[in-house]
Amino acid sequence: MKVSMYTLSTCPWCMKTKKWFTEHKVPFDYVDYDLADETTQGRIVREMDQAGVSGFPFVKIGDQVVEGYQPKKFAQMLGIPA
Amino acid sequence: MNVESRKKALRYFFTRVVEPLGFKFTPDNELAEFLLEQEVKLEAKHGIPFCPCQPIRNDRARDMQIVCPCIPFHREHFDAMKRCWCGLFVHQDVTDPDSLPQLSAKDLGLGR
Repeated sequence: MKVSMYTLSTCPWCMKTKKWFTEHKVPFDYVDYDLADETTQGRIVREMDQAGVSGFPFVKIGDQVVEGYQPKKFAQMLGIPA
Repeated sequence: MNVESRKKALRYFFTRVVEPLGFKFTPDNELAEFLLEQEVKLEAKHGIPFCPCQPIRNDRARDMQIVCPCIPFHREHFDAMKRCWCGLFVHQDVTDPDSLPQLSAKDLGLGR
């Protein structure tokens, strides 16, 4: 299942999220919103608005989205132990 | 700018704002110090101590809602979590901030 996430370089919960996926050996792509160019930022906020998400981390697991550092939910969606 | 002195100033100012709202600084001092440092850096860059965990959209009306402490703009959501989104502030009765999950307004069944 493809995992990607939008994060902020200033956000400790984004760091925890990346660490969680790394420790659970789940490959993922990410973009740090604050380090992205203006066009990419515009695309990300449109995507967040469409998903009804306002904060980071914004995690996409397959076609599902999770807002925030929610390890139990990550594990449940991936079908792995938390 | 001296980061440590600005962090201290923000602590003083924020305490006066959040206490009447029923919040306090998280007892997790390591987290609080990290978040305050990010806010000092954001303030140096943008002129405003924005929340380190929400996007600056370059939309003034939206961006004003993420100026720390942003509790008044997200009161229902933060009261339901007993913490603010980044975790810098928690309800005054909270002693174990690690027990408070970061849940979206949607997860909590709240409207935006």
